[in-house]
Amino acid sequence: MDWKWTSFVFAMLAFGILYWLMNRYAFKPLFAVMEQRRQMVLDQMNAAENSRKEASAEMEAQKQALAQARQEANEIIEKARVTSTKQADNIVDTARSEATRLKDEAVRDIESEKNKAIASLRSEVGSISVAIASKIVEKQIDEKSQEQIVDNYLKEVSK
Amino acid sequence: MHYFPIYTWNGIEFDLSSLLAITVSAILTFALVKLLTLKLSVANPSKAQNFMEWAVDFVHSTISSAMPLNKVRPYMSLGLTLILFILISNLVGLPLNIVTYVHEPMLGITQAMLDKYAAEGGHAEMAWWKSPTADLSVTSGLALIVFVIVHFLGMKQNTKHYFQHYFKPFWFFFPLNIIETIAKPVTLALRLFANIFAGEVLIATILMLKGYGTPFMIAWQGFSVFVGGIQAFLFTILTMVYISQAAIHDDDGAH
Repeated sequence: MDWKWTSFVFAMLAFGILYWLMNRYAFKPLFAVMEQRRQMVLDQMNAAENSRKEASAEMEAQKQALAQARQEANEIIEKARVTSTKQADNIVDTARSEATRLKDEAVRDIESEKNKAIASLRSEVGSISVAIASKIVEKQIDEKSQEQIVDNYLKEVSK
Repeated sequence: MHYFPIYTWNGIEFDLSSLLAITVSAILTFALVKLLTLKLSVANPSKAQNFMEWAVDFVHSTISSAMPLNKVRPYMSLGLTLILFILISNLVGLPLNIVTYVHEPMLGITQAMLDKYAAEGGHAEMAWWKSPTADLSVTSGLALIVFVIVHFLGMKQNTKHYFQHYFKPFWFFFPLNIIETIAKPVTLALRLFANIFAGEVLIATILMLKGYGTPFMIAWQGFSVFVGGIQAFLFTILTMVYISQAAIHDDDGAH
């Protein structure tokens, strides 16, 4: 096994050429592709991060909108309840006042009817009693009062 | 032991098996990587691309264990080329071995050698195929490339600290630092070469056992694959550590 300088030089030459060829035609494109992939992964991660942020912002907005809608709904319900209570009170009040009015009217009617009845009764009783009295008077006056009247008359005349 | 085919041209010797192995390994490495990165897609990667990206990530984590994470990028191609080329180089020698019998003087085998084998009643054997990294010339070539890169980057990017580090912790440590500087590429080359060469020597030895060697061969082939992977990884990470030591100065003074 001798040391051959031709092999020595040829080995260096071959390695140099091999290095140049590999670098130029294999590694440079390969490294470029790997770098591009690194960049791509980075971009995608950034994009994912962005869309995650966007999604959470969107979620927050939705939550707020939902809360607002719920609040509005509550307000509407509350308003409706207040309105309905007021309306019910109104109705009850109206009904009550109407009832009072009707009752008063009835009472007044009754009163007037009563008065009317009393008045008519009174007149009736008057006439009846007059009639009765006249009947009685007619009967008693006939003899005695005739005499009395005549007597009275005569007395006056004689005077 | 086998001979390797040596072609001599104008007094310059060419180790044909080594040149062949380097060429085939380099072409194989490039073809494999090109095949795996044919259809690249950002959003929908194929299995081949996934595998290649796994390799890239592996090398990335390996390099980043040696230097700060933000400095890794420029050395990715170097690390990937190193680890893939060395791994494939370590493995190509394992599955087959092309040996021819030589009966006449050719490619560095002389008549004297042939006569010696003929006297023993055997053949001179010529091995045409081996792992390129089982050749010290190749591993030292790789180590020299690493050496040049390390010191060039050190001088260019980290000039002050690079020159200062030779005199640290004290000025008289200069010779030691020089020895260390030289030892780094030498050990880098020798470690890789020795591991792979030893593996192939043992394979050649087991081959001499003929049929009885089969279980050993299975075990040793498996182990050689493991060693090949480890050595490729080691070469790459040591390269990165050396680059980190020379060219990257932590402001905290962390090494």
